Amino acid sequence: MESFFTIALALLLAPLFPGIILKVKAFFAGKKGPPLLIKYYTLLKLLQKGSVYSTSTTFVFKLGPIISCAGAMMILLFFPLGGMSPLVSFHGDVIVLFYILGLGRFFTIAAALDTASPFEGMGAAREAFFGTLAEASIFAILILFYRMTGALSFAEYFIGARSISMAGTAGALLLLVIVSLFMLLLTENSRVPVDDPATHLELTMIHEVMILDHSGPDLALIELGSFYKLFFYSAFIFLIIFPLKAEWGLFKVPLFFGGIGLVYVAIGLVESGMARFKMNLVPKFVLTSLVLVSFAAILTMEFIK
Amino acid sequence: MSNIVNITMVIILLSVLLSLASNRLIALVKIMALQGIMVSLLPLLLEHHSRMGSGGLIFFQVMILIKGALIPGLLYVALKRVVTKREIEPIIGYHASLFAGLIIILLSIFITERLHLSLPKGHDLLLTTAITTISAGFFLMMSRKKAITQVIGYLMLENGIYLVGTALTKHAHTLYVVEFGVLLDVLVGVMIMGIILHNINHTFDDIDTDHLNLLKD
Repeated sequence: MESFFTIALALLLAPLFPGIILKVKAFFAGKKGPPLLIKYYTLLKLLQKGSVYSTSTTFVFKLGPIISCAGAMMILLFFPLGGMSPLVSFHGDVIVLFYILGLGRFFTIAAALDTASPFEGMGAAREAFFGTLAEASIFAILILFYRMTGALSFAEYFIGARSISMAGTAGALLLLVIVSLFMLLLTENSRVPVDDPATHLELTMIHEVMILDHSGPDLALIELGSFYKLFFYSAFIFLIIFPLKAEWGLFKVPLFFGGIGLVYVAIGLVESGMARFKMNLVPKFVLTSLVLVSFAAILTMEFIK
Repeated sequence: MSNIVNITMVIILLSVLLSLASNRLIALVKIMALQGIMVSLLPLLLEHHSRMGSGGLIFFQVMILIKGALIPGLLYVALKRVVTKREIEPIIGYHASLFAGLIIILLSIFITERLHLSLPKGHDLLLTTAITTISAGFFLMMSRKKAITQVIGYLMLENGIYLVGTALTKHAHTLYVVEFGVLLDVLVGVMIMGIILHNINHTFDDIDTDHLNLLKD
C-alpha cells in the first residue's frame, strides 16, 4: 500500500523538480525565473492542443513518444522509491530496465528518422552515439554493484540484506560511482555540459532536435517521459549517497523527495556554472565516467577478496 | 575510521584520473591543490600516527600549507602571466591518457600484490594509490609538452613518493624530515619554473618546451 502511495506521489511530483533547476539557474543569472509549477502548465497547455502529423510520417512516428514515456514510467515501478519495497522486482531487473530505457531511446530515434528531416537525422546520430558510450558506463556500474552486493535488482541494491552504503566495505569506491553517475545523468538526460535543452539553433542540438516535429499531446508525453527519466537517475544517485534505513518508517518519504530536490539543485548549480562542451569533447566526458567506474571496479580487487 | 582513510585515497585517485583528462591548465592547478591537501591529510588519519606530539601536528600543518596552498598558488601566479591557458596538442591524446590511467592502476595493483609488504591492517589501498600517483605523474611528464604541465607531473610524482613514505614508515614523524627536504626541493623547483616559464613566454610568446629544441648557439 505504501509502495503504491510513493509511486503515485513520484508520478505526480516528477514534473515539479525540473522547475527547481530553472529557479536555481534564474537565481544565478539574477533573474526571477519562471514559476515553480511551470512544467505542469506546459504539460496542460500541450495536452489541450491537437497533434499535427506530416504526410510523410508513418505509425512509427506516433509510436515513439508513447513507448519512451511508458518505458520511463515502468522503471519507477521497479525502483525502491523512498526506501519502500518496489511493486515488482526480480533477479536481473536492472538489466531489463536499462534496456527498456534503451528501447525508449530506440523508438525516439526511429521516430526522428521517420520524419526524413536532415536535422533530425543528425540529432538521432548524436543521440545514438552518446547513448552507446553511456551504456558502457552504466553496465560497468552494474558489474561493480554485482561485485559489492551479489545482486542484480534495484530492491537488493538499496533495501536488501547487503545493500549499498558508504559505510560498508568498499564504500569509499561509491565516491567514484557517484561522480560517474552524475556525469551519466547529465549525458542521458541531455543536460547542460553535454546538450543544452534551451538552445535555439538546430545544428547544435542533440535531444531537442529529434522532437522538433512532435506537437501537442505527443510532445507532452515526451516531456513527461524525460521528467521521469531524470527523476529516476536523481533517485538512483540520492539513494547511493544517502541510503534510507527501514526503521525510519514513513518519515523516509519526505526525506527521499527532499533529497532528490537537492540533487536537482546540484544539477542547476552545474548548469549555471558551466558552458556546454564542443561536440567533439562530449565523448571524452562520457568516457571519463566509464574510466571512473572501471577504476572502482578494478579497485574492488583490493577490498573484496 | 578506516573508511575515511579509504575515501581520502579514492579522492586522490579521482584527482589523478581527472588530471589525466583535463586540458585546461587552471583546472589542472586546482586539481593539484585538492590532491596536495588530501595527500598531506592522509597521514593524520592513519591509525599508527594517531599518537603524535605538538611538533608532529605543526609539521603536518606546514605540509598542508605548502602542498595545498603555496605550490598551487605559485603555479597559479605563473599561469596568470603566460598567454597559454590550454594544453592544445599533447604528445598522447586525452582519450589515450585516460586509457593509460586504467592500465597504470591495473599494473599498480599487480605490483602491490607481488611486493608482499606488511602494510598496516585495513590500508591495502595505500600502496596502490601511491604507485598509481607516481606512475601517473611520470606519464603526465612524458606525454605533455607545456612546461607547466610537466612541472605538475613532477609534483604528482612527489605526492606519490610522499604516500609511499606514509605507507611504509610506522611511527615517528621525525622520519618525515627527509620528505620535508624533498618538498623544499620541489618548492624551489616550482619557483624556478615560474621564472623560466616567464622567460620562455617572453621569448617565444608560448610555453611549449619544443621551442627550446630550436635554440642554437
